[in-house]
Amino acid sequence: MLSVRNIAKRLPDGRLLLKNISFEVEKGEFVGILGESGVGKTVLLRCINGLTQPDHGEVIINGINGDGGPQKINEKRGQELRKIRRKIGMIFQGSILVKRLSVLENVLTGGLGRISTVRSLLYGFTDEEVDSALGAIDKVGIRSLAYRRAETLSGGEMQRAAIARAIFQEPCLLLADEPVSNLDPKNTEAVLDYLKPLTQEMAIIGVFHAPKIVSQYCTRAIGIRDGNVVYDGNPFLSDNTLEAIYSTGKHAPGATVDKTFPSPRETVTEWKQEDKDGAAMQIS
Amino acid sequence: MRVVTGKTMSRYQKYILPAGIFGFLLLGSAVMCRVDPVALIAGIPRGIDLFGQMVPPAWKTFPELVGPALETVEIAFVGTALGASLSFVIGLVAAHNMNSNRILRNTVRTILSVERALPDLIVVLFFVAIVGLGPFPGVMALAASSIGMLGKLFADAIEEVDPKPVESMVAIGATKAQVIRYAVLPQVIPSLIGNTLYRFEVNIRMSIFLGVVGAGGIGYNLVTSLRLLEYQEAMAAILTILILVTLCEKLSERVRRIIVGQELLR
Repeated sequence: MLSVRNIAKRLPDGRLLLKNISFEVEKGEFVGILGESGVGKTVLLRCINGLTQPDHGEVIINGINGDGGPQKINEKRGQELRKIRRKIGMIFQGSILVKRLSVLENVLTGGLGRISTVRSLLYGFTDEEVDSALGAIDKVGIRSLAYRRAETLSGGEMQRAAIARAIFQEPCLLLADEPVSNLDPKNTEAVLDYLKPLTQEMAIIGVFHAPKIVSQYCTRAIGIRDGNVVYDGNPFLSDNTLEAIYSTGKHAPGATVDKTFPSPRETVTEWKQEDKDGAAMQIS
Repeated sequence: MRVVTGKTMSRYQKYILPAGIFGFLLLGSAVMCRVDPVALIAGIPRGIDLFGQMVPPAWKTFPELVGPALETVEIAFVGTALGASLSFVIGLVAAHNMNSNRILRNTVRTILSVERALPDLIVVLFFVAIVGLGPFPGVMALAASSIGMLGKLFADAIEEVDPKPVESMVAIGATKAQVIRYAVLPQVIPSLIGNTLYRFEVNIRMSIFLGVVGAGGIGYNLVTSLRLLEYQEAMAAILTILILVTLCEKLSERVRRIIVGQELLR
């Protein structure tokens, strides 16, 4: 469904942040991207929905907007780009909510791409749309907060409201940039429990800090180091793999991977080595 | 002797010399302005006499003042509303997070600061010159002079919005108008309303003054009465203006409180 091919991105200061990133994602997958801070995980996500333009390579999305044909996101502009973005949800680190709007209003903004500009400017959401938004809020268990202002919510509640917005948007692909990094363990678990079942409808690509979370919730892990994919496979990461992704295994945040699940449950995705730099690639 | 930025300064350099220069300039300017306390004291009886001529206020003229007083408020209301609406659009153009064209942005900001530097009287006279006498040039003058201030304040408020909700709406395919409506406007609306109400209070005072230069409203009645030496009528106009200004400020305060009250409730 999504195909990222040979993405390269240079920072404004001239440093080559992403050198050659390629992977494919299908519906039903929950991909966890791992890597050290500053390795370009966020930039990679932004390249996928066109918020950032890659210097090289292409991002191709397939089977959205009914026509089914493959579309190169990084070559689209204006109306066409917006049409693709309507099918790509996004959750940021911290809150994406407009603090002064109610939770319901925030969730309704997830549907802005579906309704005409004129209707949306007049707050022309229909009763059916409001019901459907309330349904999405219900799904993440914060129905009682629907009419509260977003600014009165706790961090965990805000992130759940953000997920409700993504549910209401009905995307094919959801990008989650460190959705749980500011949350305590209990809220982290709750947010991920709401995210995971969404893979029935879409693919999710998430950036995470803790390998433990990836092995617990994701169906697949991608490790990035020095601008290249150094690991692409099942989410149960060995110490060797962690060492390949992070400078040393010791420095990895939450490096203690739960060893009680040693065998891969999901099919290991084949990763074609197109990287001429010969970066270490390991599949545990 | 103390060490000031690595150099020693004598008491003379530090205090006596600046005080001497300041004193000389003040005294010189006062003489040039012919400041004369004696004349002021000598004028006291004349002041009392004038005040005596003003009371009792000629309340029989009050019915004639109601129309112009309302006109003053109307000019301020329409002028502020027009100025504030245009300022929001101008604010969007002048804010770097809404408009990436730096040349256009800087041009707009420069025009705004030139407008602020321009005395309001000149703006009024300009519009009187191009659209003639009456309330309409007053409305235009108030709108134009409001834009200088509100346009800048709105642009600054828009630049300070939380960028995350804005970007997250761009990311899911919202159009620019939708992003402004749902991510920018809700964040800046308290600042928009607060500044607009403040400007309305300023504009009420300016609107009274507009009558003096022939742009409609109660100021015209005041000036006419004074010219005709009808001091009791002038006093009635002055008191009406006082009531008017007080009422408008109370009203504006009330509106502001209702909005802030809602903030706390929701």
